[in-house]
Amino acid sequence: MSGRARVRARGIARSPSATEVGRTQVSPSPISVTLSDNEASSSSDSMETSKISPNCKYGISSGTVGSTCTERGVTISRNFMDLDICTRQKLAHVRDCKTGSSGIPVKLVTNLFSLDLPQNWQLYQYHVTYVPDLASRRLRIALLYSHSELSNKAKAFDGAILFLSQKLKEKVTELSSETKRGETVKMTITLTSELPSSSPVCIQVFNIIFRKILKKLSMYQIGRNFYNPSEPVEIPQHKLSVWPGFAISVSQFESRLLFSADVCYKVLRNETVLEFMTALCYKTGPSCFIETCEKQLIGLIVLTRYNNKTYRIDDIDWSVRPTHTFQKQNGTEITYVDYYKQQYDITLSDLNQPMLVNLWKSKRNNNTEAQLVHLVPELCFLTGMTDQAASDFQLMKAVAEETRLGPLGRQQRLARLVDNIQRNKDARFELETWGLHFGSQMSLTGRVVPSEKILLQDHICQPVSSADWSKDIRACKILSAQSLTTWLILCSNRMEIVTEGFVNCLRKVGSAMGFNVDYPKIIKVQENPAAFLRAIQQQVHPDVQLVMCILPSNQKNYYDSIKKYLSSDCPVPSQCVLTRTLNKQGMMMSIATKIAMQMTCKLGGELWAVEIPLKSLMVVGIDVCKDALSKQVVVGCVASVNPRITRWFSRCIVQRTITDVADCLKVFMTGALNKWYKYNHDLPARIIVYRDGVGDGQLKTLVEYEVPQLLNSVTEASSNTSSRLSVIVIRKKCMPRFFTEMNRSVQNPPLGTVVDSEATRPEWYDFYLISQAASQGTVNPTYYNVIYDDNGLKPDHMQRLTFKLCHLYYNWPGIVSIPAPCLYAHKLTFLVSQSIHKEPSLQLANSLFYL
Amino acid sequence: MPNRRASRNAYYFFVQEKIPELRRRGLPVARVADAIPYCSPDWAKPVSTPLRRPGMLVPKQNVSLPDMSSLSLKSDQALLGGIFYFLNIFSHGELPPHCEQRFLPCEIGCVKYSLQEGVMADFHSFINPGEIPRGFRFHCQAASDSSHKIPISNFESGHDQATVLQNLYRFIHPYPGSWPPIYCKSDDRARVNWCLKHMAKASEIRQDLELLTVEDLVVGIYQQKFLKEPSKTWVRSLLDVAMWDYSSNTRCKWHEENDILFCALAVCRKIAYCISNSLATLFGIQLTEAHVPLQDYEASNSVTPKMVVLDAGRYQKLRVESPGFSHFNYSNQEQRSNTPIGDYPSGVKISGQNSSVRGRGITRLLESISNSSSNIHKFSNCETSLSPYMSQKDGYKSFSSFS
Repeated sequence: MSGRARVRARGIARSPSATEVGRTQVSPSPISVTLSDNEASSSSDSMETSKISPNCKYGISSGTVGSTCTERGVTISRNFMDLDICTRQKLAHVRDCKTGSSGIPVKLVTNLFSLDLPQNWQLYQYHVTYVPDLASRRLRIALLYSHSELSNKAKAFDGAILFLSQKLKEKVTELSSETKRGETVKMTITLTSELPSSSPVCIQVFNIIFRKILKKLSMYQIGRNFYNPSEPVEIPQHKLSVWPGFAISVSQFESRLLFSADVCYKVLRNETVLEFMTALCYKTGPSCFIETCEKQLIGLIVLTRYNNKTYRIDDIDWSVRPTHTFQKQNGTEITYVDYYKQQYDITLSDLNQPMLVNLWKSKRNNNTEAQLVHLVPELCFLTGMTDQAASDFQLMKAVAEETRLGPLGRQQRLARLVDNIQRNKDARFELETWGLHFGSQMSLTGRVVPSEKILLQDHICQPVSSADWSKDIRACKILSAQSLTTWLILCSNRMEIVTEGFVNCLRKVGSAMGFNVDYPKIIKVQENPAAFLRAIQQQVHPDVQLVMCILPSNQKNYYDSIKKYLSSDCPVPSQCVLTRTLNKQGMMMSIATKIAMQMTCKLGGELWAVEIPLKSLMVVGIDVCKDALSKQVVVGCVASVNPRITRWFSRCIVQRTITDVADCLKVFMTGALNKWYKYNHDLPARIIVYRDGVGDGQLKTLVEYEVPQLLNSVTEASSNTSSRLSVIVIRKKCMPRFFTEMNRSVQNPPLGTVVDSEATRPEWYDFYLISQAASQGTVNPTYYNVIYDDNGLKPDHMQRLTFKLCHLYYNWPGIVSIPAPCLYAHKLTFLVSQSIHKEPSLQLANSLFYL
Repeated sequence: MPNRRASRNAYYFFVQEKIPELRRRGLPVARVADAIPYCSPDWAKPVSTPLRRPGMLVPKQNVSLPDMSSLSLKSDQALLGGIFYFLNIFSHGELPPHCEQRFLPCEIGCVKYSLQEGVMADFHSFINPGEIPRGFRFHCQAASDSSHKIPISNFESGHDQATVLQNLYRFIHPYPGSWPPIYCKSDDRARVNWCLKHMAKASEIRQDLELLTVEDLVVGIYQQKFLKEPSKTWVRSLLDVAMWDYSSNTRCKWHEENDILFCALAVCRKIAYCISNSLATLFGIQLTEAHVPLQDYEASNSVTPKMVVLDAGRYQKLRVESPGFSHFNYSNQEQRSNTPIGDYPSGVKISGQNSSVRGRGITRLLESISNSSSNIHKFSNCETSLSPYMSQKDGYKSFSSFS
């Protein structure tokens, strides 16, 4: 199978926005991609989201929810914003209990730790004003902290808002201090609110406290996560080092406050930009050095270890030297050499190096204008991996061995972190002054829901493992397939013999599964995209059912131009296969089987089904992503159109907006309901919508903007009884991890494990479901949050239904991480955003043409 | 799906419009239903508005094949001969709003076009973008890499902006007189406009071109021909097709050689192809090689000589007949001249010295036949007019109707 096909088949494994190294590494094949992606995404992440400046230890980015503070009203960070949306309250049937009961109970260990507070613990929020007003945050902080009244108290201060765990005597406290210059500054501290421990602001303060604690354990914050540079894993043959680290957060879970930690890694290169430049200069010679250097370096992310911050190289300034001066913030001129000596005690060795330029956007002041920052190549370390490195199998294997932690390794790391926190004197002191008690690792009881039977045409199969039932269904006939009589194969000259062999193979496996394949018309073309496209234009006529292209290479040009033409200009299903795939020895049968299945689906066939007890149920999957070229928003929607949930109506809409909120759902839903009515002569009684692609802080928009669109289209569809609607938000990334204890060791929990207590949130109707198999590493649970529910299904039924839907992805004979309609929607948006860049023709909407 | 509300048809609104008049005439009409009996005779009458003169046929709902026999010929001819210029300028990305320099022009393409003649001449040039603002090299590089891939520095082919602009003006407007209309796609308009102004500033040539959008042009032509406005979706889908992406003689030499799809000249040429393919055919114009890249679709294909159709029919019970594009089978030996001719500035290509000659062989033969026979053929329903010299099966249709 081609690389593309494999990623496709395992679509589960590679989410384009995987967070950190060491999270779900489900399958070994796409790891290379995942790793390099990670590096880039995590570093860019860090640039966007690091809210706390390392200069200021006590920086707070906290909200002013319910407070009157207007000046420096710092916005509440995005992941805490969602906590305000209480959707469960409106859902009467789960207000009291949202847990299910079916399935076999299983004891699970989590990566969550209890965090206890004294009863009636409160956080006091104060607002501090200075007369005369001071601009410098540092000065503000220093003046306030020098006061004895505050010195022994647990506090957090960002220059305007002060948080204390103990109340000051007065509601308004006036203090005065003297600056070094002799000015007297009057400070007024006014109590603005008293916050209970469950308030979002409090949660944010706890997170800040834990960041401080991790810093005390001599860990460094890069981006959102903390890394331990003192215990690097070196991979010297590739000049790489891997820093172990943790992603941490504190939040209010179902019944209590919990601290969660997950292991993550940062891959760094032990090579400074200066070293890289010198090596390059030797290699290329001085004549074209500047050009090659710019080509290779610009756009890379570098890390400056003196402050552990990451920057992107936006430009290289060949005219500036370290001996040149620049203006500091206070207006004084200083050379770069002196600055680094004074500030970080670093002596620069090469005084002739050019400077790297970064367009730095300050997050603190909300000015949008970026300023230029010069960086010294000598101090900048390259991060991430070059394409060359990422394609090096040995290297990626070496990295993966370090970063892909199994449940046991992960558990040990966590235990060590907790141990460190409890042993470290400073850390303990910090916790104690705030009145926090760091407790034990949480364990909880989950349930394993029964496995599903796979229904085929005349056979019901109980797979050995729901992870992969390709062997179980080998001799079975699929549900339905159109016979393929008129079709084309385009291939290059040298592939003629292989292609004929492949066609024979395809016919053989096709007839075994009940998919009748006739001989195609084989067209030989030259090996260039233009020749392929031209041949398609000449040969495709309205009777052609399918076009198969045997592509000589995986150059994007071929795939893009063929898909673009055949999905919008001239809508015919198409199947691309790489030459390389067909040349694999001894794999022909299994490759042909996979491709035959894909082709069946592209022609509108159905492969298998699971038992769905609900009659007249429509399931809808929605995913959103950004177009790679135009940055427009691509919304993919897929809805089932038969009660058996085996046939789909797929539509992709390109929005001319920049926010990734769908505003075209009504158009889609109306179309889908029309289709349903056409096939079933009635409207569906129930509609369940799964929405993927939701970012932090978007829950509110979803509830207020997308749900009404869906509701509206459903109620308008019929005059009397309208279909009942449920909307479920899916998150593939979530903090909690679950392990089962098995003979003194820990393992990944079995497929179908549901967690709907303890690790869930009190304000939501939510649950976790493990529906993907991890052969290596730790499995990542999928998080489901029911934000709207008219159906009133019991939580049990909702969970089981969701699990059933994870079996219906026709591109992989096994269970997938998210419900099939969502994965279909994801595939569709991926095709549109990467290759065709416009809406595919509606003529194809009745088949899974994008598989 | 059952419709919840009874839909209101045109007649309903017609009656509603008539109610005041009926009331003035003293008729007892309270509701639309009351007024219906009084309105029916009026409804049957031909409507007389400035746009729709009596006696002229209002186009039917079916837009693809309107009856053209009764449309006025004079206005058609003016439209057919009218010359438009399609212009596009590529930039190395777009810089944020606070920057003084928003775009860095790097490539320009322009096409002279008329419905009758197709592409008459084209102009193409690379532009030296000038110094890249400090700190934006990555931004520009990334933008370039994701589209036209023109190097952002050390690109020898880039001409300086003043010269390019001068050449463009000479191409568009070689003789004194009024300036012809210039069109670009609406999405590109802001960029092209900004670049023109910027280049004019650099060269100190004062000439404000009026830049119109192709979408409006299409709507205009359509309206003039069929007296009704086409749908926006139709216009968009008309202009946004992928089928010419790899056509020969569409991209500039550099982009063709490097096999990059994004080319300023190609954008302009593809606009011409799309308009020819969709609109010119509605006017009954014989598509020539100047209208669409026909040479790619000939049976004796010189571009992909090795394309072989294997006859798998030895296995097949039913052989499938492929009509393909055989209706373009007339031979065409003339290669469009690639050398600058006469007085034209560099970058300008003129397709043939005598613009009325569009091809040789059968094309010319067809034309002479159609000229010698009555002119009515040309503008009457093309299917019938062409049938004498084309087989019934290969009836005259646009490309898209086959896809």
